[in-house]
Amino acid sequence: MTEPGLDPQDPYVEWIAREARRPVELAPDLRARIMDAVRATPLPARPRRGLGWFTAPRPLALSPLTSSLLAAGLVGIGVFAGLTLTHRDGRSPAEQPVAVAAHPQLPGSDSVQVHEFVLQAPTASAVSLVGDFNDWSETATPMTRTADGKWVATVKLPVGRHVYAFVVDGATGAKWMPDPAALQAPDDGFGTPNSVVLVGHGNAT
Amino acid sequence: MTPRHLFRRGMAALLALGVTAPMLAGQGTDPLAKLDTASRRVVLALVDSANAEGLPTAPIVSKAQEGVSKHAAGPLIARVVRTVFLSLREARATLGEHANRDELTAGAAALQAGIPATALIDLRQAGHGKSITVPLVVLADLVSRGVPRDTASRAILQLWMGGAGEADLMGLSQSVGQDILSGAAPADALLSRARKVPIRLPPAKVPE
Repeated sequence: MTEPGLDPQDPYVEWIAREARRPVELAPDLRARIMDAVRATPLPARPRRGLGWFTAPRPLALSPLTSSLLAAGLVGIGVFAGLTLTHRDGRSPAEQPVAVAAHPQLPGSDSVQVHEFVLQAPTASAVSLVGDFNDWSETATPMTRTADGKWVATVKLPVGRHVYAFVVDGATGAKWMPDPAALQAPDDGFGTPNSVVLVGHGNAT
Repeated sequence: MTPRHLFRRGMAALLALGVTAPMLAGQGTDPLAKLDTASRRVVLALVDSANAEGLPTAPIVSKAQEGVSKHAAGPLIARVVRTVFLSLREARATLGEHANRDELTAGAAALQAGIPATALIDLRQAGHGKSITVPLVVLADLVSRGVPRDTASRAILQLWMGGAGEADLMGLSQSVGQDILSGAAPADALLSRARKVPIRLPPAKVPE
């Protein structure tokens, strides 16, 4: 079938047909060159979905086991938060005493006062304050040495009765001792005496 | 990575956090973590009992922490903590339901020092509603310094009935302590210093 108006015997048409029938000769490395060109072409960028990806609703299928584990995980996070925010003695972190670098005469709040502990121990290499206000931790409240051989720590304490002691590092190792300038607590049951401070009562020692 | 893979990995991470968080929290905040299992069980039972009876639990937990920090053996810690619990219970029975936390802990300490419960009752009655925390603490302090219990109880009661203030009592304790360190007999030091405490009787009770 030919286009209307075209004569198949026309020399020009015959030339075109001959050219079309001529077999095409391909270069032997053509395939390799094409593949190289394809590899060199960068991938098209993925369309940016932005916030829509997070907000678009999509169906979610969970097995009963996964659902149970997820629920347990969420409960665990809740327990973690609860334990972090509240101690077993019922005091929240806001009520826990904290060491401060403040002057002892600074006024405290109604329920918390700043108290300065002082120990004269010129030969000690380190002294720390331990008591019911820092969970009796030897590392929680290290005391600072002054030029005249005193060791000082300033601590915010809730109003009330507190029991404490000093841990003094000296030539014979760490030694627990009461505050010689304070009220004494009765036998602690563990063989090392403690001291008592009454915060908010008269002239607390 | 496909969104589905991302979601699955996120859920796995959330689950892992949720399951391990309580264990990590337990290690981080449990004040009794260093106690052996049996002693820890005793202490926790005492804490629960204190809770149930409306007693303060902080002194119980604190005593256990103190024992751990002082490297005491677990059974000893459990025994000492039990003594604290029983003292708190006795202090509550002696001082009444309205005793505040400081009075209870000071009363428990005084009882542990061997001061008789009758001395606590006398102080409570003589205080006319005032807090007796300071007299109790001073009393325990004097006994700890070697003053005989009866002598200390009588002297503090007389001063308290006579209107001595909290600062007077704490000053007395300090002075007696210094005298004892200087070589005075504890009872003599107390009686000598007690005579110098100014008594502030209410106007109606001032002798003619």
